[in-house]
Amino acid sequence: MTSTAADTAPAGAAPSAARTRDVFIVSNSVDEMGGVCSWAHRMAGLLTDRGHRLHLVGVVPVPEDRRQVFSAEPPYPMTTLYTEHPPPAWSPRGVRGRLDLAARRRNAAREAGMDAAAARLSAVLRQAGPGAVVIVTQVWAMEWVARADLSGLTVIGMSHESFDTCRASSRFARVKRWYRDVDRLVVLTPEDADRWIREGMNSTCGIPNPLPFETPAPSPREERTVLSIGRLSEEKGYDMLLDAWAEAVRGREGWRLRIHGSGPEEERLRRQCTALGLDGSVEFAGRTGDVPGALARASVFALSSRGEGFPLSLMEAMECGVPCVAFDCAPGVREIVRDGEDGLLVPMGHTTGLAHRLGRLMDDRELRDAMGDRARANIARYAPEAVVRRWEELFDLLER
Amino acid sequence: MPSTQAAPEAAVEPAAPDVSVVVIVYNDADRLPRAVRSVLGQSLRSTEVLIVDDCSTDGSHDVALRLQAEHPGRVRALQLPANSGGCGAPRNHGVAAARGRYVMFLDSDDELDLHACRNMLEAGERTGADLVSGLSVRRHLDSRHGKTVEWYPWLYSRTRQLDSVDELPDLLVWDTLSTNKCYRRDFLLRAGLEFPVGILYEDLLFSAQAYLAADRIALIPNRVYWWDVVERTAAKSLSNRRHEISNFTDRLEIHRRIDRMLADRGMTALKAHKDVKFLKHDLVLHLRDLPFLPAEFRHEFSEHARDYLATLSAEAWEQVPHIQRICAYLLVRDDWANLLPAIDTLLNRDKLSEPLVERDGRVYWCAEHLDDEEGRRILDVTEAGYHTRPLEKLFLRNRLTGYRVGPAGLHLTGRIVNPLGKVAPGARLAGRLEFTARRRSLQSFAFPVRELRHEGDGIAWEAVADLARRLRPLGVVDAVWDVRLVLEADGRRTTTRITVGDHGLEDAAGMPVRPRLTRLVGDRLEPSVTARGHLAFHLAAEGAAARRTTDLIRRTLRGEAGAGARRAVDGAKSAVRGARKLKRSLNDGSTKLRVYHEVLLRLPVVKGQVVFESHLGKQYSDSPRALYEELRRRGAPIRPVWAHSGSPEGFPEDARLVRRWSWPYLRALAQAEFWVDNQGFPLKLAKRPGTTYIQTWHGSALKKMGFDMPAFKRMPYAEQEEYQRALDRFDHFLVRSEHDVRTLARAYRIGEERLLRTGYPRNDVLAQRRPRDTALMESLGIDPDKPVVLYAPTFRANAAGQVRGFTLPFDPDDFADRFGDRLTLLVRCHYLNSVVLPPSVRGRVVDVSRVPDVTPLLLMADALVTDYSSVMFDYALLDRPMVFFAYDLEEYSEDTRGTYFDLVEKAPGPVVRDTEALYAALEDLQASGERHADARRRFVKEYGEYDQGDAAARIADLFFTGTARDGARPGSTPPGDAAPGARRDGK
Repeated sequence: MTSTAADTAPAGAAPSAARTRDVFIVSNSVDEMGGVCSWAHRMAGLLTDRGHRLHLVGVVPVPEDRRQVFSAEPPYPMTTLYTEHPPPAWSPRGVRGRLDLAARRRNAAREAGMDAAAARLSAVLRQAGPGAVVIVTQVWAMEWVARADLSGLTVIGMSHESFDTCRASSRFARVKRWYRDVDRLVVLTPEDADRWIREGMNSTCGIPNPLPFETPAPSPREERTVLSIGRLSEEKGYDMLLDAWAEAVRGREGWRLRIHGSGPEEERLRRQCTALGLDGSVEFAGRTGDVPGALARASVFALSSRGEGFPLSLMEAMECGVPCVAFDCAPGVREIVRDGEDGLLVPMGHTTGLAHRLGRLMDDRELRDAMGDRARANIARYAPEAVVRRWEELFDLLER
Repeated sequence: MPSTQAAPEAAVEPAAPDVSVVVIVYNDADRLPRAVRSVLGQSLRSTEVLIVDDCSTDGSHDVALRLQAEHPGRVRALQLPANSGGCGAPRNHGVAAARGRYVMFLDSDDELDLHACRNMLEAGERTGADLVSGLSVRRHLDSRHGKTVEWYPWLYSRTRQLDSVDELPDLLVWDTLSTNKCYRRDFLLRAGLEFPVGILYEDLLFSAQAYLAADRIALIPNRVYWWDVVERTAAKSLSNRRHEISNFTDRLEIHRRIDRMLADRGMTALKAHKDVKFLKHDLVLHLRDLPFLPAEFRHEFSEHARDYLATLSAEAWEQVPHIQRICAYLLVRDDWANLLPAIDTLLNRDKLSEPLVERDGRVYWCAEHLDDEEGRRILDVTEAGYHTRPLEKLFLRNRLTGYRVGPAGLHLTGRIVNPLGKVAPGARLAGRLEFTARRRSLQSFAFPVRELRHEGDGIAWEAVADLARRLRPLGVVDAVWDVRLVLEADGRRTTTRITVGDHGLEDAAGMPVRPRLTRLVGDRLEPSVTARGHLAFHLAAEGAAARRTTDLIRRTLRGEAGAGARRAVDGAKSAVRGARKLKRSLNDGSTKLRVYHEVLLRLPVVKGQVVFESHLGKQYSDSPRALYEELRRRGAPIRPVWAHSGSPEGFPEDARLVRRWSWPYLRALAQAEFWVDNQGFPLKLAKRPGTTYIQTWHGSALKKMGFDMPAFKRMPYAEQEEYQRALDRFDHFLVRSEHDVRTLARAYRIGEERLLRTGYPRNDVLAQRRPRDTALMESLGIDPDKPVVLYAPTFRANAAGQVRGFTLPFDPDDFADRFGDRLTLLVRCHYLNSVVLPPSVRGRVVDVSRVPDVTPLLLMADALVTDYSSVMFDYALLDRPMVFFAYDLEEYSEDTRGTYFDLVEKAPGPVVRDTEALYAALEDLQASGERHADARRRFVKEYGEYDQGDAAARIADLFFTGTARDGARPGSTPPGDAAPGARRDGK
């Protein structure tokens, strides 16, 4: 079943009167650059607009270089529990590890610090009225939330990545441990939710991310350019995109691949690009602050990741009416792109398949236009109103 | 927890709860509160409980009344006016009193999962479904490890919604529980759904009705219901008393009613599905008890069964495994002489329990009923391939015929079936009885079988085992002892279990025994029957002291005894566990890897030691074999070691044989001067610089390989690098053509300096056009005067890359009828597959899949039929006709892996797509062979130009006999000679 934001009108009776609540969103930090923090502020803004009383809580402050700068002061309060980063968790190994007195002392201090921080959090939460909700966006932050006084509060935990990505990381065990007793675990898609449920997390559901920006102008799809936007990291799989491009560009003179982004793999990718003889058709364009602008100069979007959660880049491309070709690497991808209807999916790693599908779109202007238009229409199901309604319904359900 | 839904109108009439849970109870006062608590503690607060007591005599209703008093407004206690004896009437009563928008059922001995109601409610409201169903989990309360079993988890792997149960017939057919579900109350009322009363299996009927009546059904993967089971209970629950005939007739009656509903709705597909389940499941439940029941009961049983089985659809009979079909058929025929052995196979799926007969080229389960056409169809077990399996691959029925305890000990007699005369009349027979503890123990005991003789179509045996004196259990940890009889016929060995069957053990005596621990933990061995009907023994306590001790131990294990006793028992158990764990950890993979790298690799290299391996040790074959034989011919100064994957059979006797991954194998590799292999020594084993790795590889490529495969491209970098390190161990890589250089060498990232353009040693005999191996032909029963055609298809994988089973794409009987008098067809499937040929085609179509090496078969064949197998590249060297039977070309070439070239364009012979075209091509072999002569030569030039017939000799010269000049060593140096530019181990 693909339940999405658009088709969730409850069939049975459901409370309708818009009830406003105190909502606390707790993350590792309140102003870190990156997806989770953007989500927290976007949701906080949307919920505030609906009349809810928001409060963002971060556990630790963010170093200068990773701090997000707000264009305007947010209309809700923000609290950070620590003034500086606490020491890392300690797990003694062997007899010698257990006898390490210095580590023992450090750990005792950390424990005491955590209790103090949790007390500060309890103080914040105590201001809440009836029906208040705590949303914990990252499992690390849950270690502090779990120590706080949660009486009378509904607690929702979140995992902002696909089940498979999480399972491959150390977070998997921590999600199962720390979110075990929350009222609800919210993940990105119904498919991921089912995987978590089968894993024993018996109160889990999927709610998609809202669209990142409000209806930009559609791309004219004039330029013979395939675009990709993302960090130049292993996970984004640009090595595979270059392999595929070598096949796709053959016999299609005049087409270019433009990659926006920077990252640790840049050198390696440039070398690979040269080795494949693609320097003439591939452009490493660096990071961009103007995503709609970049999309306006492209006709096809490519996503070649090894793993994803609920990729914003696909949503952005589709909002601008640019048809996407993507590796089917996560439930989030197949939820956003409807294969053959508003984009094309490829089994992960199948570079020849990726090349064929890019080629299909590059060769067929009508197909590009048809898929691009459908993409723009279909992606509207993640409109902010629909996603916010899902959250409000969840708040109501958890109170019944 | 009180409801937080304190709405203002609550003062007038309490708001209807979201969910009403009907808890039924009969004489279960102790457990009732636990069940009720599991509802009151639900994460969904808006619930109510209706306790319906079926007139218990143990005060259950008083407990219910107390719960009602403690939870006013949330618990109501109801009672039926008279005992109904079932679950139906109380549930109906509860539904009638329920006020919730949704209704669920709970039994007093089970529990709801914490979030059951909320998850059900959410799914119900989201989808508008009349019926929501979730996962039920059986919890074995008496299991010390907290064993749980999910009930039909494949139905609940994901969230889904059905507009009709037609979309998922398995749901109606298998999940017949009423308790893991949530029903809209107005749906139950509107559809008039009620449980039948006065009949067993009321759930079956109720669930079927509900599924059929529901406008929409939602399934959720969440666990909702904990179904608690206690195995060792004295009074079996209602539906477990299968020996009562009414039990069976009730089941049939329920099935008839469901069938009528399906017929009324014209749901024939669903009916067929249900019939399959009846044969596979319902009937089996009853059949397994029948061997232990009296004859008159059995006849009555088959009377009832016959009428119902006649109503099953023909298609259902076709769809069930052959043994279930056979059992049902023999039951209808009331043929208990053949049915009892068949039930043995039903319980032990691999077991062959009948001697079988061969008629008109087919193999049948028994000699009876073959005049009946239906009987012949059902009893035909040719496809099972029993006739092609050697004795050691058969699990034979061994029936107990005598059990006696005498002064010399336990005296047993029995009879082993001898199917199709597999054990020849003159065979040397030997045997032994083995007693082993059920839980992997540190000891086992064997006793010789005194007598073994042919007797009709079986082998009768007789053995005496002096258990009292010779069998010494430890005690406590090895309470159950299994018995096996190992039969040896002319050195071929097969292991049997002893089936107790209708012999019965009611009067069988046990015997005294002395456990090593102390006689206090048990003083007798008593015979018993396992769940699968086999003879076993268990340690029992007879003396008063022993009884007291064992009772104490039992209580301790259950946590009811004092701390001292618990410590003693825990100590004993942990000592045994520790010993077992030590044994395991000494032999586990990571220990082996560590010792290999830290110890074995530091031992000196043994001059001349060469480790050979072919296809991961599965065969003595291919280029490693050809090279080995060349070296032997020359008398090269080597110490050869061959690795095998389990059985050393067929490997050369003049080499040291080691099992793959064994300690001797690791040591041999660590100290070898050369590694020679065609696929890859274990990837995790590093190769020292002093060892030279000659990778012969095993075939040119049509399909994409190595890093050209999506599976490798998508790997994370760290894994790619690890794999690359394993590939970098190759010092030399053999290629047959520049095609190999462009494909394999690139895909495995093997540099020019490591390539040996010698061709494959295995192909020397092909390039030299050696004569065929007549001895091998004779042993396979191949007529030397008829032309031979070899059919050698490759394997097919599914989307996930797993190997799929293989079925011949043409009918072998058909083929034999058409071509059998003119040619012999050899069938060789890929070593990952197998095929069964009927006896009727004997000598005309021959299965040669078990011949270890394919090369002699290629030499034998006057023509080759293949599809995409790399055998095409090798066979082409013989310049004989080839036919490409590519019946699934689209599917094969369009799957995700991709090919390096277009087969249709390059094939040096006709590419045919169906059986008729294949037959036509075979009629036309000679002429089409001539037509394709040029194409074949081009093909050889493109894909096999370096196969000149001297590959083994050139490699022997280069590395082993030292007669060649250094300049002839392409990109390599002899061992120990570190010339510049030579790449040794990738470091």
